[in-house]
Amino acid sequence: MSPYYQIAQAVQDTSFFTAVRESALIYPIILSTHLSMIAIFGGLILLTDLRLLGVTLTGVPASDIVRWTRPLKWVGFLIMITCGILLGGAKLLTYYDNPYFILKLSLLGCVGIHALVFRKSVYWNPQALDDPKGPPRAAKVAACLSMVLWVAILSNGRWIAYWEGADPNASIRPVNVELVARLTNR
Amino acid sequence: MLQINYDPATNPLNNNEWAFPLFECIHISMFAMSVGTIALVDFRLLGVALRKYSPAQLLKATSLWTLIGLVVVVTSGMVIATTDPLAYYYNGAFRYKMLMLLIAIVYNYTIHRRVAMSQAAPAVNIVVGGLSLAMWMSVVFLGIFYAFT
Repeated sequence: MSPYYQIAQAVQDTSFFTAVRESALIYPIILSTHLSMIAIFGGLILLTDLRLLGVTLTGVPASDIVRWTRPLKWVGFLIMITCGILLGGAKLLTYYDNPYFILKLSLLGCVGIHALVFRKSVYWNPQALDDPKGPPRAAKVAACLSMVLWVAILSNGRWIAYWEGADPNASIRPVNVELVARLTNR
Repeated sequence: MLQINYDPATNPLNNNEWAFPLFECIHISMFAMSVGTIALVDFRLLGVALRKYSPAQLLKATSLWTLIGLVVVVTSGMVIATTDPLAYYYNGAFRYKMLMLLIAIVYNYTIHRRVAMSQAAPAVNIVVGGLSLAMWMSVVFLGIFYAFT
């Protein structure tokens, strides 16, 4: 038995995560909150990215958009991560070796790297952002990468549920093969 | 029980491993875009952020993205619903979701829009923005609860 399996088992077996997993109402509520935050937080990211690309809100300095949306993004991000940890921890045994889960976490890591890389040149550089000739090329690259990363993260998040792994019962949602079987028997 | 002359087992979405989750991803990305851009105006109405700009300015800047998002999210949702239409039709959470969605869309293009475009009193802004956030959150919640009921 791999040490990862044992760690995953230990985490999901804690009384706290067991309670989250077994609750009929709490689990879907956390999942819904997780998804609502994607919507709200995603809108802020999208608006920032579009402004950096010079597509919308061009009457407003880009640095203002970056500065004014920052605290809200942090709030959304923290709620989203908290819900994510609750969801992941509660069913860690079905997630720890799920390639989509691993990819999603890696992409989240890339978001951190993205923030560090463009911190000086874009996000904390109001002078360059408000250049009368428009945001610098680095800002446009950062905006495009940000959109690609977030769409990839939410897509991988969805795909986690479709990985069957070694145990076909591990999937949390019936895959379409099962649905077809059910429909043909109707 | 409602009878329809349609066999969902023949639906390509039920016979391809990738098609269904792909449509779900499109659905989620686009609700993020539509609800997210609406939420931005709501945050301004609530006075939480971007206070330097008027709600009208933000609404004008985001309305095109909201509309594109709404069109794609509704279209992809209809496609997803074809995979098992009767199960959706008889699901309580789904029915409430459709009702809330209809109310939220109508509200968004009438009261919400009118208030955002005018210079209403802060109290009015807070009520209208808060209601809008609550409506759209409830649509997302009911969408998730479909799978749990």
